[in-house]
Amino acid sequence: MRERSGATLLSRAKRLGLIGGLTGGLMSLAAAGLLASAAPARAASVTLIETGSTLLYPLFNLWVPDYTKANPSVRITTQGTGSGTGIAQAISGVAQIGASDAYMSNPQIKQNPNILNVPLAISAQSINYNIPGLNKDHLKLSGPVLAGIYSGKIKMWDDAAIAALNSGVKLPHHQIIPVHRTDGSGDTFIFSQYLSFSTPSWAKTVAYGTTISWPAVPGGLGAIGNPGMVQSAQQNPYSIAYIGVSFHADIAKAGLGTAMIKNRAGKFLLPSHATVSAAADGLVKKTPKDERISLVFSAGANAYPIINYEYAIISRKQANAANAAALKKFLLWCIDPANGNAPKYLTTVRFVALPAPIVALSKTQIDMIK
Amino acid sequence: MKLRPFRLTLLGLTCLIPAALGAVLLFLALFSWPAIRFNGIGFLLSETWSLGNLYADPVKQGGMLVPIGASYGILVFLVGTLATSAIALLIAVPVSLGVAMFLAEGVSPRLRGGLALIVEMLAVVPSVVYGLWGVTVLVPLVAHVLAPALSDAIGFIPFFRVTSGSGFGLFAAALVLTLMVVPIITTTVLDALTRVPREAKEAAYALGTTRFEMVRKAMLPMVRPSIVGAVILGLGRALGETMAVLMVSGGALNYLPGTINSPVSTMASFIVSQLDSAEQDPTGMAVRSLAEIALVLFIITVVVNVIARLMVRGVGKPARV
Amino acid sequence: MLSLAGWSACAVAFVLVALPVFDILFLVISRGLAAFSPALFTQVTNGTSGGLANAISGTLILSAGALLFGVPVGVGGGIYLAEFGNGRFGAIVRFVADVLTGIPSIVLGYFAYITLITGLGWHFSVLAGSVTLAIIIIPYMARLTELVLRQVPQSLREAAYALGAPERKVILRVVFPIGWPGILTSILLALAISVGETAPLIYTAGWSNYMWHGKLIGEPIGYLTYVIWSFINQPAASAHALAFAAGFLVIVTVLAINIAARLVLRRTGGGQ
Repeated sequence: MRERSGATLLSRAKRLGLIGGLTGGLMSLAAAGLLASAAPARAASVTLIETGSTLLYPLFNLWVPDYTKANPSVRITTQGTGSGTGIAQAISGVAQIGASDAYMSNPQIKQNPNILNVPLAISAQSINYNIPGLNKDHLKLSGPVLAGIYSGKIKMWDDAAIAALNSGVKLPHHQIIPVHRTDGSGDTFIFSQYLSFSTPSWAKTVAYGTTISWPAVPGGLGAIGNPGMVQSAQQNPYSIAYIGVSFHADIAKAGLGTAMIKNRAGKFLLPSHATVSAAADGLVKKTPKDERISLVFSAGANAYPIINYEYAIISRKQANAANAAALKKFLLWCIDPANGNAPKYLTTVRFVALPAPIVALSKTQIDMIK
Repeated sequence: MKLRPFRLTLLGLTCLIPAALGAVLLFLALFSWPAIRFNGIGFLLSETWSLGNLYADPVKQGGMLVPIGASYGILVFLVGTLATSAIALLIAVPVSLGVAMFLAEGVSPRLRGGLALIVEMLAVVPSVVYGLWGVTVLVPLVAHVLAPALSDAIGFIPFFRVTSGSGFGLFAAALVLTLMVVPIITTTVLDALTRVPREAKEAAYALGTTRFEMVRKAMLPMVRPSIVGAVILGLGRALGETMAVLMVSGGALNYLPGTINSPVSTMASFIVSQLDSAEQDPTGMAVRSLAEIALVLFIITVVVNVIARLMVRGVGKPARV
Repeated sequence: MLSLAGWSACAVAFVLVALPVFDILFLVISRGLAAFSPALFTQVTNGTSGGLANAISGTLILSAGALLFGVPVGVGGGIYLAEFGNGRFGAIVRFVADVLTGIPSIVLGYFAYITLITGLGWHFSVLAGSVTLAIIIIPYMARLTELVLRQVPQSLREAAYALGAPERKVILRVVFPIGWPGILTSILLALAISVGETAPLIYTAGWSNYMWHGKLIGEPIGYLTYVIWSFINQPAASAHALAFAAGFLVIVTVLAINIAARLVLRRTGGGQ
């Protein structure tokens, strides 16, 4: 035992000083935090949480700052967590707006009849690859070929099936690394729908969904979110990935190649405003009142095959009237061709505005929110 | 007997500790019970994890409503968990022992504190920061340097023959786990080595050994219980690690790792990545199967930790965390 | 010569271990400092850019909440185990505490998600996050507190009891004044754990782009580790900068707490 009392007193004083300093520091930080949070709390009245699709996330991050500046009484938190999370948290009420590239399934609707699927815009998906030397060209790929790649039946880039679509292109003799999403993803939904609609064997064995049982392909990678897909493709030569078009800038920066995809009419197309609009217009009349419909692999000579409505999954019954009113106002702003659906937002993410009849249908659904 | 309010207050607070564990165990068991019944033993043996066709109507199977084609098997994740932990320990144990020996007898006592602090820094870094470093530095390193080097060196063993692959996979995950496990083993063994009585060391010198031989042949055997206990504690840590592994493991599904650079999924990282998908299942069987994974993980870590604690016994001395 | 080879191998092992430490610290500190600016502390996160004010205050609030719930149970439990825990009950609690330290935090996070967030309907909330963190840190505090208090000589206690002092006085006036540095160390270490946790908070606290409004349930909150985990996967350079800035803040805080804990122990000659 130490018994030098003088030194003990001194060390005790130092100790107290240290402890005091630490505690004081921590408490003042906490106090500062609380003060800073208390001040704006009096001003804002409604907080909305948006979570879900990483494909829609960049667009929400463009909408929210402008909207909240014009409407300072509303605060909207955005998160890019995957369509699966968006749907799940909208159903459980944890989030007010669930962003999803996929509409809810029939069993889900049956279990949750109060949930609305409201399209906010039309988006598309590109198939990107990273083949050294070929990233500037646009390889031609079809549904059955992609199904073969993602099921492991087509293993090499110079496989006969791929070569048949790309005569004259020197394909490398190298293993393909297919990248898929591990989180519950709307991109997986529309990609697997494209594979299911175009390839009967895929429809029978794997089918489609926000999450599917990916066939075992040795070396196949899982990535989280669209950003993860871009990163995985970028870091892995000879890989192939499905990525939402809102990430076109990052795809370009990563130097990935974009494939031309075969549509139902047999033409190979790149996603562009023209090809996406062509595909959407064809299905406007067929869109039902609850607006749950697939836009994938539609008919039309110039129709890009992998497109979808971007949905806001909303509960018809909100926690209180203030939330409901704020939510309705925001959603109406989003689908308004003069506001959220204006080119100044949509062209940055390469989305297409909702056709007028769809805007009307969405408005009817939004009005149901109480 | 007097009612002692102070002691009773303390007792009440203390009871919350076993209550918390009991609540977690009870919840996991009750919540996953339907999944346990549906999955049976195939849960642990099947390579296929499929949530089924969530967009078709559910069907009745085995007396329960499940999505069509649903089949929950966690062999891939069990293997991923055990493989990453095993490789991590394989690397960590000799390295930790080397470091502990180095610090105990190889440097002067003045340097020991500072150098030991460096090792303990590894224990201080939060898991998600390990993930951050792993994604930024380690994964490219594995992809471009370490995996090819390993393949060149011992590529005659098929498991180590690596021809392609990103750095995301078994090797990177194991390396990150190694760094997390090393401080646990090193500090425990170092502590035990510094407590070896001087007489034992002098007896070895009297027999004419060099310093290194003395450490290896006299001191290490004396601290073997600590070593074993620390290794098992490290194993417990490795088995339960989530965030860092999630960020570097590559997210494998439905296949077992073929080479050391193959993507893997561990049970802990799989729960995080699958939860929102599982919530799409209207029958709820998917969420319950995830809870079953959590239960299996819980049981494994409990068993491992129990064995560890029994071995690092010492009066009121749990291994340094 | 074998000895030389042996010591060289040990030295190499040490270098292999030390290099990653410096590399991690260097990476996080250099990139974090590059992204450092006063705006981090004043602005809130705006999508994937902006500042970290909401995350910083959120981490502090969640840690404070964790300590609020955790310290009474953890330290109280530790005191009980040290003073009265020599029987079967004490052995059981000790065992359970050790087991709890080994449970993966994701299991606790999942448990909290199903029971508190959706089951009780709290949704993402400060309360759920704090309670989950508390469950994680309680066993560490209990075991360390017990360890420290057991080192207080029994003779002191016996002398106090012999003088007729009641239990409360013995513990608070005799045992505690000697053992408090160790208890403070255990609390500091628990704080360090809270600041660095991620997986359980993803499922209990959620995430918020705004400062906390003060609602205990039904309102999510931001925290630094979420930024690290989620923003590094975003393609925007601003997101990466924020991820490293958050990583820098977390690691500096955790290091500072650990150094403080060590200083407390060293100055008072306590601890193991």
